[in-house]
Amino acid sequence: MEKEPSTPEIQTQQNTNLNNPISRKLNKILESRIENDKELLESLKTLSMFFPENSIRSRRNLRSDIEKRSLVLNEEFLGAFRNVKEQLDDISSIIGSMSECSDNMLTRLKQVKLQTNELISKTNKLQNEKKDIDNKLKIADKFIEKFQLQSDEVNFLTPKKDGSLHPEFFKVLEKVRTIHENCKILLRTNQQTAGLEIMEQMAINQEAAYERLYRWMQNECRLLCSDTVEISDFMSTALFTLTWRPILYKYILDEYCNSRRNAIVKLFIDALTKGGPSGNPRPIELNSHDPIRYMGDILAWIHQATASEHEFLRSLFRKFKNNLELESSIKSSLGVIMDGVCRALRVRIEQVLVSQQDTILYKISNLIKFYDFTIRQRIDESCELIQTLVEMYQLSYKMFLNSLNIHATRLLDKIEPPNFELLPNEEFRRTLTLIKDIFDSYNNSVVSVNTKKDDYVQILDCVIEPMLQMCSLSAVNLSAIDMAVYMINCIYSIHSMLSLYEYTDSKLEKLEAQIDAHLDTLCNEQAYFILSKTDLLDAFKIIQSHDKKVRGPLVNVLGMDSNTLKSAMSKFDIYLAAPDNLIVSQFNLLLGSSIRLKLKQKSVRLVSDAYKLIYDAITDPENGYSNSNSIVPRTPDQTLKLLS
Amino acid sequence: MSNSTNSGPYNYTYIFKYIIIGDMGVGKSCLLHQFTEKKFMADCPHTIGVEFGTRIIEVSGQKIKLQIWDTAGQERFRAVTRSYYRGAAGALMVYDITRRSTYNHLSSWLTDARSLTHPNTVIYLIGNKGDLEAQRDVSYEEAKQFADENGLLFLEASAKTGQNVEEAFLETAKKIYQNILDGSLDLNAAETGVQPKQPMPKPVSNEAKPSDSQCSC
Repeated sequence: MEKEPSTPEIQTQQNTNLNNPISRKLNKILESRIENDKELLESLKTLSMFFPENSIRSRRNLRSDIEKRSLVLNEEFLGAFRNVKEQLDDISSIIGSMSECSDNMLTRLKQVKLQTNELISKTNKLQNEKKDIDNKLKIADKFIEKFQLQSDEVNFLTPKKDGSLHPEFFKVLEKVRTIHENCKILLRTNQQTAGLEIMEQMAINQEAAYERLYRWMQNECRLLCSDTVEISDFMSTALFTLTWRPILYKYILDEYCNSRRNAIVKLFIDALTKGGPSGNPRPIELNSHDPIRYMGDILAWIHQATASEHEFLRSLFRKFKNNLELESSIKSSLGVIMDGVCRALRVRIEQVLVSQQDTILYKISNLIKFYDFTIRQRIDESCELIQTLVEMYQLSYKMFLNSLNIHATRLLDKIEPPNFELLPNEEFRRTLTLIKDIFDSYNNSVVSVNTKKDDYVQILDCVIEPMLQMCSLSAVNLSAIDMAVYMINCIYSIHSMLSLYEYTDSKLEKLEAQIDAHLDTLCNEQAYFILSKTDLLDAFKIIQSHDKKVRGPLVNVLGMDSNTLKSAMSKFDIYLAAPDNLIVSQFNLLLGSSIRLKLKQKSVRLVSDAYKLIYDAITDPENGYSNSNSIVPRTPDQTLKLLS
Repeated sequence: MSNSTNSGPYNYTYIFKYIIIGDMGVGKSCLLHQFTEKKFMADCPHTIGVEFGTRIIEVSGQKIKLQIWDTAGQERFRAVTRSYYRGAAGALMVYDITRRSTYNHLSSWLTDARSLTHPNTVIYLIGNKGDLEAQRDVSYEEAKQFADENGLLFLEASAKTGQNVEEAFLETAKKIYQNILDGSLDLNAAETGVQPKQPMPKPVSNEAKPSDSQCSC
């Protein structure tokens, strides 16, 4: 009881009791609050379940009971845990196998990974290769595009069933040619084999294509046989393309020319013999009776045909560059085309020529010359048509000169003295008319001035000399006066005809000189006639030959006395009053007033000169005429005035 | 390459042959030159014999090539030029309105033209130098009457100004073309002065006849 002092006491007690274990224990017990200790309550509750009665025995056994109980519990516990342990063991083994498995997988994965790496690198490699190959493919495609033909392009190069060519033909052919060209570049690189092969292939293509083109053109050309032709663009292009193959080109040109030549020959013959539809225009040959018209129509037809063919050729060559070479090509082709008509033309011209003469021949030769000149401008000059025209011109001109020569020889054949009129004879005049005709036709003709000049000279040489010869020959038996008058008349008629024309100057000059020569003769004759009729001739002759130093004054010479002279002078006076009464009779037969006038003037001068000589002699005091003034009342000047 | 851009001058259906006649110095060559070159040729030299010109025209949608022979007017060439009338489809007969003598000679030219050409040849009378009104020597009415009496087409033209030159050539072609349509010109025969490029189908005459009367040219 002491253990429960008052509070202060307790505290003190407590402090004193602290070191006492019993007290401490006691305290502890005392202090414990059982109702608050759940564990204890639980334990007690549990204990109450198997501790039914509070007996000694039970109290004695309590401990063992509890222990027993604990043991049972532990055993149960153990049993339970054993299960758990077993299950855990199972799990553990499963996990173990799982781990094993995953380990396995891991190693396999590792392996696979190794393998995959290889694959990837391979793939990459392949991909790169693919890229390379793609590039190569592209290049190859481009190459093929550039250096090979597509299949349809090959088709374009082959002709269609009807033999016609595809419109793309030339494009493809051009491509083939370009490829062939480009192969040369290939040959310069290291692709020589390819280059050579492609080149060969293209060459084959090209040859085949040209061959086909050639055949096509050949056919086309053969169809060109109507009077007009239409040259398609295609055809002109074809011809132009063929220039790459000069031989084929030449053949085709020949083919074309042949076709056209045949057509022209046919048309020409038709125009000659059949004419137009139902005979209008009439066939040219219907006019064959009129040689000039006939020849003109034929040659005009040829000229027009030449012009048309020239146009067709221009159209055939329209794809060509316009240059000199082309021009000569056209000209020579035209030559070939037109040479077909030459034979027919030649035969007809010759036929006409043989039956014609002189002027007609001349006109024909001029006509031919004109057409030669006209046609020559379009056509090759060495071609047969021009040759034919030249030859025909030469022939006709030669025949013309021949016929002139025949005239000339005919003139000389029949030489007869002139009649009393002293005029040129019939044949002479006919020849003159002929020359006039010829020269007139010249004025109407179409040849150039140079030809005209040459021709004139030739014609005149050919005819005038024989004419003059004839005159001289036929005049041989005439008196001097008659002969001079006759010659003057002949020459004058030639002269007056020639003076109408150009280019006769040199001839005219010669003729004038000849006229003058004869005129001089006539003047002398006239003067002589007058002097003798007025009895002055003797005096004139004496005075002319008189030398006063030897023979003394004139007055003493026989026949020179004043009276004789006076009577002569009075006669001369009568002549002066009417000079026209004293004219040689033949002079009236002279043609041409100008000649007569000239003759008159010249003879007057001669007479007055003679008078002057006589006058001077008589009025000369040394000659001893005392009454000279009564002998010669007129001065020479007065005389001259009266006469002229 | 073979396109049709430059095929113009070579693409035509017919060729018509013309001849130009008339006295010296009336301007035949100048008319031709004006028509083919559309230029006036001053100081034109005298024609020697014959000259030749072409031009393509269009009549009723048909391309026609005119082949024109220009003859010399000088008397001395008459023998040569006569040969060119042969087979002409059209004849242009020209006189100078300022020189009556050239008008007075028309009848001789007409005789030549009538006797040397096809009866269907279209003859067109042209009074040239229409620009020289002040020097006029032949009145329009007089020439018109002459043309009417002889059944000729007639126009006054000027090669210098080009007035009516086209018309004369074109209307001649129209008239010829009409003759073809109504069948009076048989094209399947040569030397009518008209050459078809292809054989012509025979025209339906019923269709062509009415156009004869209503023709404006």
